[in-house]
Amino acid sequence: MPTPYASSAKGLSSSDPILDRLASSDGAVKFRAIREVKNHIIGNRTKKLSYIKLGAVPAVAAALADSNPNLIVQSAAALGSFACGVDAGVRAVLDAGAFPRLIGLLSAPDEKVLDAAARSLRMIYQSKLAPKYDFFQEENMQFLLSLLKSENENLTGLGAGIVIHSCKTNGEQNILCHAGVLEKLTSLLDGSLSQRDASLESLAAIIRDNPTAVSNFVELRCGRALHSVTELTKDKYPRTRLLACLCLISVKNSSTCYLQDIGMKTKLVYILLELLDDSGQVGDEASFAFSSLIAEKEDLQKLAFEANAINKFNCLLQKHPIQPKRLEGVLLALADLCSKLECCRSSFLSLQVLNLVIDALTHEDARVRTAACICLRSVSRSIKNLSAGCFMNERVVFPLVRLLSDLSTSVQVAALGAISNIVVDFLPHKSIFVQCGGVKELVQLTKSMDSSLRLNAVWALRNMVFLADTICKEGVFVELTASSMASLICDPEPSVQEQALALVRNFVDGCLYSVEHAFAEDGIILDAVGRQLQKSSKIEIGIQGMYILSNIASGNEFHKEAVMQLLFPQDENGSHSFFEQFLHSPDSRLRTAAVWVVINLTFPSSPGAFGRIVNLRSFGIVSRIKKMVNDSCMDVKLRARLALGQIITFGDS
Amino acid sequence: MPVRVLENTAPSQVSGANSGRSSSQSCSLLGVGQAFSGTQNVSSVQKDEAWRVNVRIQGCDLEHGYLCGTMEALNVPMADTPVVTFWEGEIVDTKNYTFFTGKWEATPEDDIRHWSKFPSFSPLLGQVEADGGKSLDLSNYPYIFMRWKEQYFVNVGTDCGLTIAGFYYICFSCSDGSISGFYYDPNSSPYQKLELKSTNDGRSGFSFSSYELQ
Repeated sequence: MPTPYASSAKGLSSSDPILDRLASSDGAVKFRAIREVKNHIIGNRTKKLSYIKLGAVPAVAAALADSNPNLIVQSAAALGSFACGVDAGVRAVLDAGAFPRLIGLLSAPDEKVLDAAARSLRMIYQSKLAPKYDFFQEENMQFLLSLLKSENENLTGLGAGIVIHSCKTNGEQNILCHAGVLEKLTSLLDGSLSQRDASLESLAAIIRDNPTAVSNFVELRCGRALHSVTELTKDKYPRTRLLACLCLISVKNSSTCYLQDIGMKTKLVYILLELLDDSGQVGDEASFAFSSLIAEKEDLQKLAFEANAINKFNCLLQKHPIQPKRLEGVLLALADLCSKLECCRSSFLSLQVLNLVIDALTHEDARVRTAACICLRSVSRSIKNLSAGCFMNERVVFPLVRLLSDLSTSVQVAALGAISNIVVDFLPHKSIFVQCGGVKELVQLTKSMDSSLRLNAVWALRNMVFLADTICKEGVFVELTASSMASLICDPEPSVQEQALALVRNFVDGCLYSVEHAFAEDGIILDAVGRQLQKSSKIEIGIQGMYILSNIASGNEFHKEAVMQLLFPQDENGSHSFFEQFLHSPDSRLRTAAVWVVINLTFPSSPGAFGRIVNLRSFGIVSRIKKMVNDSCMDVKLRARLALGQIITFGDS
Repeated sequence: MPVRVLENTAPSQVSGANSGRSSSQSCSLLGVGQAFSGTQNVSSVQKDEAWRVNVRIQGCDLEHGYLCGTMEALNVPMADTPVVTFWEGEIVDTKNYTFFTGKWEATPEDDIRHWSKFPSFSPLLGQVEADGGKSLDLSNYPYIFMRWKEQYFVNVGTDCGLTIAGFYYICFSCSDGSISGFYYDPNSSPYQKLELKSTNDGRSGFSFSSYELQ
């Protein structure tokens, strides 16, 4: 994080003669002044900020236009130093107009000038603030290729730095492949340590999430490039090993054809776990690389579990102080580890990692708070532990609910994700969650302008109302109101509509009284459900809607008749067509849900069943059900037979 | 459902096969939130006895052949309150699990003996004897066979004088949602029969709720 200038500008003032000397017309004075500044600021962030505040950077940059090569070299070196690791320095160098001048110096005949300019530009390209390089301009690509094929290590390093900085999209990756950048980069793998690392990092940038680029890379030099990278996973330098792993992970993740043998997978797991011990940047980045290796891959998560990864991350969490980036990476890696396998979650809980994750919920860094929530979301996928009440307690719930009003939307969304799981505790009251104001917060977020917040808030409410008792449901219903629920059913986002319908489905489940919720405020909810079913843009929306109607139709006569009215309104023609469509749907889940509505409408013990059967017959539903008794899906077939059996008890005609 | 602790000797364990092709069965009556009630016969030589039992499905993952839920025993003589246990189920889908248990002190003979008590198992017996049923495609079979193993007591301590050491052989009827089961624990009375029916909370029909973990 940049430090405020005011607290750092020690020992220098605007009256400092250094500025005069930097602007001196005497070349020798100027040279010494620049060298003095350069020597002061190397590796000293505070001094850099002081000189920046003093306005030294434009004066140093002005020397790039000098005719004296020694002065230019000093100036470029000082500017590079200002830009190294300090964003304020990069900004000052760019603002001083030094960037195009440095680029211009790359064609200087003087080798020392060229070297100094290239080094300086490399520093600048390490910052996100550096200007984006446009690979789609032909002359830019030619320039990049000329850098990469240079004999000069600083120029090749700069070329790689440009790729690492600016290659972000698939289009950029593809054009770089097409131009032959992969070949140039792989030829650097045999170079110096710095060339090797720069090459590996830029290769990783080009092939990341791009199967075409990976395929190009794998075929390079008949697979020898891939082999070279594989060998570099054994290098003695941790950073080289990490970068080689990143390349291999990209290759492995791109297709099921490459690097799928268990030996390679195990090797990557162990190398990355070992790299976590590095106390510097490599250790910080290793956990992110580990995440990309195991995310969504059950087999790799199992291998990592067997390699004692949970314990390793637990030990890392216990170390103090722990930098925010490292903490974030460890939490996200734990989240991926616990995303699928119960053995990982059990180990996580038995090692009491949960306590450390809960502490991270109140960390000052928003990325750490987000990662802690994501980790909790993953661990709380364990139904066994949800049912045992491992998460529904004050220690977990209170800080999570507080995060619902976090200033960062990412934190709010992640907290909603964890809460969505934790509220599924299979107990009817959810009293802890209600007591800490969780319902109010959730309801508030359902009104957010941000659709991801609305979606996750409705999702959490839907899960909360699952098997909840009347008191809990009533509390949510009063807070949310029927009209808000109707609005959510008609939300512009289909995913919100689906969750809102699932929420209503859970509201009208349970005791008979629960069905009344659908009829509150003159049936505004049921009207909204009907409108949404007419549109039925998404299968899942149809399914949830059908289960709402099915649940209502399992109520009393009034409820059943209301469903009949919705399905077959007397004053409209053909509006029941969506119901027929659902019974014909290619999706067996939707057919099943639709048949359940028929089963409940024709339930034998209900007095109005016969009249409804007559109507269903007249609308062609009974003949449709008859055809479904041999449905290809067993569930549909059995439900259709049940429905038909009930219909036949009233006589078939 | 927990049973009384009895003393007995334990037979040895046998490993079971665990491979084959996918045959996930889907039945809406076996979905999360569905409730069942009935009895478990715990009769012994001394007296006839049956405990009332409620079951609720809490989780279902057909891809992994996994089912879980709670079981509530209502009139347990030595307990003041209903005793609730959490159980996890293995669905015999011939992909994740076969008819052979391979653990919990159940030999293949024990398995065959218990499965054979379900009439719906008889068409499968020959194949199960031949290869454990690995070559069977059960995806369209109207019965789902499972093993339910209680994992922990939800509302009482482990010192309640009850045991959950055994497990259930379960047969679920997809047609009407009825469940039959036999409790197996070498240390308990043999063939304690579990009989459950789908319940509807006093409604005139079937109701379905749902949740979705993130």
